[in-house]
Amino acid sequence: MKGAWVRVSAMEFCECEGVHHNVVVELVELNIATPVEGEQVQDWVFDDAGARWLRKALRLQRELELDWIAIGMLIDLMREREQLRRENAGLQRALARFLVD
Amino acid sequence: MEFKDYYQILGVKPDTDTKDIKAAYRKLARKYHPDLNAGDEAEEKFKEVAEAWEVLRDDTRRAEYDELRRYGGRRPSDFEPPPGWRSAAEGETHHFSGDFSEFFNSMFGGGFEQGSRARPMRGQDVEIEMPVFLEETLEDCSKPVSYRLPVYERGGVRHMDKSLKVTIPAGTMDGERIRVKGQGAPGMGDGTPGDLYLHIRLVPHPLFDVEGRNLTITVPVTPWEAALGARVVVPTLSGRINLTIAPGSQSGQRLRIRGKGLVGKLGTGDLYAILKVVMPKNASAEVQALWRELAEKADFDPRAEWEDAS
Repeated sequence: MKGAWVRVSAMEFCECEGVHHNVVVELVELNIATPVEGEQVQDWVFDDAGARWLRKALRLQRELELDWIAIGMLIDLMREREQLRRENAGLQRALARFLVD
Repeated sequence: MEFKDYYQILGVKPDTDTKDIKAAYRKLARKYHPDLNAGDEAEEKFKEVAEAWEVLRDDTRRAEYDELRRYGGRRPSDFEPPPGWRSAAEGETHHFSGDFSEFFNSMFGGGFEQGSRARPMRGQDVEIEMPVFLEETLEDCSKPVSYRLPVYERGGVRHMDKSLKVTIPAGTMDGERIRVKGQGAPGMGDGTPGDLYLHIRLVPHPLFDVEGRNLTITVPVTPWEAALGARVVVPTLSGRINLTIAPGSQSGQRLRIRGKGLVGKLGTGDLYAILKVVMPKNASAEVQALWRELAEKADFDPRAEWEDAS
């Protein structure tokens, strides 16, 4: 059975989440995700991470009733936090290999 | 089923107005939202809070809920809906995108339709964790997968064990998901089956650390290998290689070995060897004498910079 990386088209995403494609355009303009394929929104395809951030943005908007600008800032910070945590874990591991008990 | 006291969940009184309920919801949502808090406990708490708000935000649903509360709220662990109960708000769009409790689904969700009237419904997607060794990411690799699927039939649910072999594409990274089409739960009616998602977790390696597509390995070297230079054998994910250590190398120095990192969608990464000068634990009297001789002859103060700084 062949497994494949998750790819989600903008249209699939809209259907699944029940939103108009203009919402996806707005989220892309806010830099919440970048399509990995396609020029026009109808042809846009997101990778799993991109689709995950789009989904998070929608969820935050629905569940915390935030506006898109606030969500854009929040997602930036969340992404930065994720990146810093990953880097920190990597540096801690590297340091542990270097230090002597 | 268990009766849900939505007022208690939100910490409000049954006569609180919608504005104040909203304020209570927002406070708790901020506190427990899964995107802002790690951990299953916060997620479970958020689900309860969001479900309570989903019902109490809507006047029709709230009125129905108040009726149910009067009807059976006194036996919270063994709640049965009134005979023939059907919500007027059934099938409406929900603002909350997670799972609802059995209580919510039975009271406001319409439950499962059965028999010949059943609409085709796509089967559930299933996601499982898939540990993968670094070595396995270099090429497409076939891995056995076993999991359980919920099968809904005759108004009930049973579980079905399933096993298959899945080919994981080369270059898969930690945290990525692999989709296997049609291997999730069976659909209802003539609905298509859901998909299986494998959440990839790279197993920590005893020697290599991952930095994106690059790998690092700490290479212990003797003080004389660092001083005089050496060729040392270093393991990589695809066999051993000879690494040249230049004379006068320092502890912590990074040496790049091109193309020996992880396979990625945009090319293969590199392996970085980080030198770690290690002192021998025990030294014979003869070796000690040699160190002393070196100390006398070598003109080196590693803390010379401190003189300038202090």
